[in-house]
Amino acid sequence: MIGDRARTYALLAPAMGFIAIGFLLPVAWFLARSLSVKGGVGFDHYAEFFSSPLNREVFWRTLRIGLEVTLTCAAIGYAVALAIAEGGQAARGRWLGLIVLPLMISPVARTYAWIVILGRTGPINNLIVGLGLSSGPLRLLFSETAIFIGLVQLFLPMMVISLVSALENLPRDVVPAARILGAGPVGAFFKVILPLTREGLLVGGTLVFTGSLTAYITPAILGGSKVLMLETLLYQRVSVADDLVSASVIGVILTGMSFATNALLRRVARGRSAAR
Amino acid sequence: MNRTMTGPIVLSITMLFLLGPFAIIAAAGFSAGETLAFPPEGLSFRWFGAVFREESFRGAFAISFFLAAGATVLALLLGVPAAYALDRYRPRGTEWIRILIATPFIVPGILVGLALLQYLVIPTDLGVLPALFIAHTALLVPYAMRVVSASLANLRVDIEEAAMMLGASRLGAFRMIVLPNIRNGILAASILGFITSFNQVPVSLFLSGPGTGTLPIAMLWYMENNYDPSIAVLSTLLALLSFAVIMTAERLLKLSRYV
Repeated sequence: MIGDRARTYALLAPAMGFIAIGFLLPVAWFLARSLSVKGGVGFDHYAEFFSSPLNREVFWRTLRIGLEVTLTCAAIGYAVALAIAEGGQAARGRWLGLIVLPLMISPVARTYAWIVILGRTGPINNLIVGLGLSSGPLRLLFSETAIFIGLVQLFLPMMVISLVSALENLPRDVVPAARILGAGPVGAFFKVILPLTREGLLVGGTLVFTGSLTAYITPAILGGSKVLMLETLLYQRVSVADDLVSASVIGVILTGMSFATNALLRRVARGRSAAR
Repeated sequence: MNRTMTGPIVLSITMLFLLGPFAIIAAAGFSAGETLAFPPEGLSFRWFGAVFREESFRGAFAISFFLAAGATVLALLLGVPAAYALDRYRPRGTEWIRILIATPFIVPGILVGLALLQYLVIPTDLGVLPALFIAHTALLVPYAMRVVSASLANLRVDIEEAAMMLGASRLGAFRMIVLPNIRNGILAASILGFITSFNQVPVSLFLSGPGTGTLPIAMLWYMENNYDPSIAVLSTLLALLSFAVIMTAERLLKLSRYV
């Protein structure tokens, strides 16, 4: 038995050591910095951070965009997942393959496409000016809307994948049964499909929400230096003002929200499997 | 509404939204004009040539390629034994280790890069390339462990035990029984790892130095100061490259199961 134990640790130690040095310890140390004040530990840096109207605005914007993106992805995700589930097995595999594909392409490339589409000489503005809706090109880029569109495109596939596998586990006859018993399509969705695929929605929602909170490329490219999210604010604080304290406060906020969402998910999932 | 029509319509619009933008940047890349525009001003390969001549892109591509390859190999060398130990021996603290290897998916990458810069790179005066190599490997170890664990879970322990009873050493049983059976998992982990590292931006952001950065970082820097079709061309080439890799991988091992 002792031999097994020594072997186990020998096999695990290199990987764990690498994660500790190359990730865990520096991050923990850096986050701890946000709590250190003159002569001890305190929340002074947090109070200071939230006393700035700009910081508060960025904080609420980040949460708002995260929620909007998650809800939009959920709505589109259900429509797409139901449409995929309707088709046969072979079609399902092909559609899933197509939906996974963009996840493998560089996010810089994926986001940059919106610079072309939403830009001053892009197709959307050409259309608006061509139809006479506006005398000159509109400023569509570097706005909250641009970030929102970019994030939905970035994270929609994750929601669809989670919902497709949740729908797969849905017993085949429950929806027709509900319809026979008098439920309309909307009623069947809210009373049968939604409760039975709740776990998939939660998994997808967590991925999309934490992904939107911690995305850097999309707000950097589509929001510019004016419409900041917490990630781009962090970068700006460090690169412009060398303000590591604010950076560590933002780091704690982002990591905290991300952990909280995941912990909530774990808890809900555990509650359900215990109830079964 | 006609049910049989709604499905295909929803799917077509969604695919247009997800993949259509690539068609547009591809077209914008063929422009003969000076600035980025769609529809492009005339057609030419002018910017394709320009991208290959641009020194900063060539250097950054080499860095990204070797970084992704090196980090993937080291992450597998570290991650496969660790995943095996967790799966077969279930040591005390397995739960904690599983939580630990989920953290890189939760902690924002930009924070990881900044923390490494502050507490590893600056104190030890580490160069840009070793710093990127350590950061990317640490990021990929959890990916490797996850994917390989999934393959290991499907492999029955008793085959391995039978091999040992028949006289194989533990290492021999691993080499002859376990390794061939988790080969697809390892291949999938290599491809996902390589792509993850190659596309990675936030972790590399603070670790890249002036003139030495990965390709996506070089693209971000370039687009800050230029508004020409170069980035559209590079984006198109990267999308095609990923497309080729994924199609091959999908055919070989049904990669979408591991995402």
